[in-house]
Amino acid sequence: MPPQAVAAHERTGTAAAPAAMLDTYREVLTPEGVALHLPAAGPVPRALAWLIDLFVRVAVLLALSMLLGLLGGLGQGLYLVGLFLVFWAYPIVLEAAWNGQTPGKRALGLRVVAGDGAPVGWLPAVVRNLMRSVDMLPFGYATGLASCLYDRHGRRLGDLVADTVVVHVAPRRIDPVLPPATPQAPAQVLLPDEQAAIVAFGERAPRLSAGRQAELAALLFPLTGSAGSEGVRRLYGLANWLLGRR
Amino acid sequence: MRQEQFVARHQAEWDAFELWLQACGERVRARRPGDAPVGLDDGEVPARYRRLCQQLALARRRGYSTPLLERLQGLMQRGHAVLYRAPPPRWRRAAEFLVAGFPQLVRSQAGCMAASLLLFAVPLVGLFVLLQFRPELIHQLLDPAQIARMEAMYDPSDPRNALGRDSGSDWQMFGHYVMNNISIGLRTFAGGLLAGVGTILVLIANGVNIGAVAGHLQAIGHGDPFWRFVAGHAPLELTAIVIAGGAGLRLGLGLVAPGRRRRRDALVHAGRIGARLCLGVAVMLLLAAFVEAFWSSTQSIPAWLKYAVSALLWAGVLGWLWRGGHGTAAAEGDDEA
Repeated sequence: MPPQAVAAHERTGTAAAPAAMLDTYREVLTPEGVALHLPAAGPVPRALAWLIDLFVRVAVLLALSMLLGLLGGLGQGLYLVGLFLVFWAYPIVLEAAWNGQTPGKRALGLRVVAGDGAPVGWLPAVVRNLMRSVDMLPFGYATGLASCLYDRHGRRLGDLVADTVVVHVAPRRIDPVLPPATPQAPAQVLLPDEQAAIVAFGERAPRLSAGRQAELAALLFPLTGSAGSEGVRRLYGLANWLLGRR
Repeated sequence: MRQEQFVARHQAEWDAFELWLQACGERVRARRPGDAPVGLDDGEVPARYRRLCQQLALARRRGYSTPLLERLQGLMQRGHAVLYRAPPPRWRRAAEFLVAGFPQLVRSQAGCMAASLLLFAVPLVGLFVLLQFRPELIHQLLDPAQIARMEAMYDPSDPRNALGRDSGSDWQMFGHYVMNNISIGLRTFAGGLLAGVGTILVLIANGVNIGAVAGHLQAIGHGDPFWRFVAGHAPLELTAIVIAGGAGLRLGLGLVAPGRRRRRDALVHAGRIGARLCLGVAVMLLLAAFVEAFWSSTQSIPAWLKYAVSALLWAGVLGWLWRGGHGTAAAEGDDEA
């Protein structure tokens, strides 16, 4: 292997994690030695999720108060117990037992996970939610917001103490289909990330407009020696060849 | 190996793994041991997961295309979430924790508990004694409206005090005590995160408040209904507040004096201990709310019976904290939960 290619391999070693450039991305090595990608959620989606939860809670309390209002003193006592449960137990139980999601988090596509990417357990769920009373200080989650903006992974104080992260749930991906084309060997040796870029083009371009495809393919005129739809076709050919179709 | 060959060779494996994840892995409770295996046999899963990790690392190293990497990455993360999740809580474990684990945990934090006790008891007892000699000092501590309300509540000549409340308002007060007292206990712990200052302030404020009220009522001769009211729930409530304070101080200590840990790790460690202490505190305060609503309020019970029950409860609570779980495996450390 020529030294240049070795250097290129070193480069892909780091480039293999394109997410590293995004500062909210958290990478955790699992015991198996591969990295988990945890896209940390910022304060805005979390605040929205909290508002949805607030709405749900108030709705539950309203329903409770209407039902229990008929029962007099007993009803009022039960309502206060319900208030206690909705205030303290609602986030704890939902997060620990329902995949790290409250209804609000589910609606916003968020999830609480432990710092090592594993599902959040009962104790961390208890800690992060008890700490809310500190994050709320002095008003309106100001402390939590400050901590959220300061921390690299958008954690509020409760998350720091419980060692949890709120992450975006990745949407399901469909398997890529590469349009078939006559496989064609490149005229020159390509570096690994150049190969990866061409394959990525092949897998993504079918979702772009023809004009945009041609525009992107024109950038590789030195390699393909042709522009327009012919250039696109050639790139597909190269991608097919790189994927091993002969 | 070219990507297409790699995919063709392993595709079936990935599909089986994904099928298993969807069918049983992600909702284990719906599954019974006798069910037919879906995609994979359960026992095979860890090995398959490790193979998947290896394939992912290989695919990354060889620079295969991003969508393929994303698919493998997604499978791996879902597998990780299934294999490394915390075990579901068991009722038996919860009972064991209350009987043995919690007292052990309290004893293992003896220093913080002692500090919390001092912060709470010194202002309480000090003010109580002080107010017996200088009763006029109460006006420095409470405003007149509070004093009047408190005096009316425990007036021995008030006929309501002879009978107690009806059962409806008993329930109402129960709800009130649950919401109020447990919230205060939990916040006492959380306040520890402010370098312990929040906890210290809450402890002292509670000590001052209770000491002032008790001292004043005793000094003006309203002591009898007051003591009869508080004697029943005091053992549970006062110890619970001290324990919540100790947990908070432990948390503050994690921030101020992390010792030979990173500050973050010390906080996480103290947080786990504190969370378990808080679970016990919540249970204690729940019991206290029961006693306070349904026993303490019944003024028709003779004083000697109330004090006897109170003494029994004090002995029970302190004995539980002192001897509970003695001789069994120690609960120190946060790893086993």
